[in-house]
Amino acid sequence: MDSRNFTYMFYGFAAAWLILALYVLSLAARERRLRRELDSVKRMIEDRETRKQV
Amino acid sequence: MLYFRQVWTVAGKDLRSELRTKESLNAAISFAIVILVLFSFAMDPTADQIREISGGLLWLVFAFAGALILNRSFARELGNDCLDALVSSPLTGSALFLGKALGNFILLTIVELVSLPIFGVLYNIEWARRPRALAAILLLTTWGVTVIGTMFSALTVNLRLRELMLPTLIYPMMIPALMSAMRLTTLLIAGEPIPADDEIWVRLLIGFDIIFTALAVGLVEVVLVG
Amino acid sequence: MRTKILAVLCLASGLWLARNLYVIFLTMGDEAAQGAIYRIIYFHVPSWITCFTAFFVAGVSSVLYLVRKNSRFDTLAVATVEAGVVFTIVGLVTGSIWGRIIWGIWWTWDPRLTWALITCVIYSGYLMLRHAIDDPTARAKNSAVLCIFSFTSVIITYKAIDWWRTQHPGPVLSFRTGGGNIDPAMEHMLFQNLGALLLLCAAIVVVRMRQEDMQREVEALRRYAHAL
Repeated sequence: MDSRNFTYMFYGFAAAWLILALYVLSLAARERRLRRELDSVKRMIEDRETRKQV
Repeated sequence: MLYFRQVWTVAGKDLRSELRTKESLNAAISFAIVILVLFSFAMDPTADQIREISGGLLWLVFAFAGALILNRSFARELGNDCLDALVSSPLTGSALFLGKALGNFILLTIVELVSLPIFGVLYNIEWARRPRALAAILLLTTWGVTVIGTMFSALTVNLRLRELMLPTLIYPMMIPALMSAMRLTTLLIAGEPIPADDEIWVRLLIGFDIIFTALAVGLVEVVLVG
Repeated sequence: MRTKILAVLCLASGLWLARNLYVIFLTMGDEAAQGAIYRIIYFHVPSWITCFTAFFVAGVSSVLYLVRKNSRFDTLAVATVEAGVVFTIVGLVTGSIWGRIIWGIWWTWDPRLTWALITCVIYSGYLMLRHAIDDPTARAKNSAVLCIFSFTSVIITYKAIDWWRTQHPGPVLSFRTGGGNIDPAMEHMLFQNLGALLLLCAAIVVVRMRQEDMQREVEALRRYAHAL
């Protein structure tokens, strides 16, 4: 491979992959947060329903 | 016929209430003048420099001042649930929209007509060398700006962050019109004809007006009524 | 079922991308004038086509939402816009790095670049608008309208190289020029990577749609909990 501009080609590919990886990580983080929220809301509802029955 | 009367009734209502209170008109005009004055302090430009950037400066002023008018356009109907009354009246959504857009168009044109001579005096520029072409560009752009602004004013009227969201949404959307206007206005104020190379900007401006007017008229019913 | 589809999508796009990287670096020859840097084209152009596709799908599903009032279309619109914005940023950054070598500058205000940036800003505005509206129906309705308006900027970005004389190169791919501007082997590779990126985009969209559904469920359960 031609060695001219090789570093900048590397930067370009690294940047593209980095952006995609960061976005995928943020998606994973959001997934975790949503699951936690869903769990806590469900627990809260169960809690309130049982208290109502008592 | 009835349709146009409805449009005119809404526009007349908005203009009357605005011209009686002069709430946003005064704010917009004084804001425009303040920017024009501040700019001369900030840049201290020579007459040649000003001539080169006149279109950009003027349209920045008009766009910012316009946002003050557009912000109030639908928001003024929030008190006493006037918006609900308007929506439930026999008016069609598009007549209401066109009326409001026409009202804003006239108000923004007034702001422009006041600021242009002040700009000419403050910067010592003879701006009316090609009055007809300049007027055409001013009116075309003002219509484009008010159509986008009125539509987005309706879109954001119920938001908590209305005053913040409106400018963030409208300015990027207006860029095609503003870019054309800035370029063409600079040429016309310098007294030059529009070269064949730049006719694409005129076409872009006209296309912008037609496409966004059609889109807004078609979609406004959805936004207002749901 | 959906999880399986998602796993297959992720695996396929990952393998395809890895294989493309291997070919791009080790078997494709250099371009005569630009040397190694030209390889950025295999990411730059496909990521723009991917983002245009994503915005197009978002526009169509916004129209469908307004016609059918089915929240599935709204979910699809938000997922595709978000994925589209990510690919827009990839396109802007790779283009900027390429420009640094070929033009000697990171950025220039030529119409193509300007409108690409505006498109990015407009669609970020769409995502911001969604955050600002609490009521799900109003959010879906208003953002669908905004999404339709926004698509005009995609059209201008796409056509900018035809309408103005830009510093950005004019059309290269054979479906716009009729062929002759690019080596067929390079174009073939470019479409290979486009396919891989489109698959990746589809995988992202599926994940994002599932999250939007979860978000809706959380909101609905919250309202229910308040009512209790």
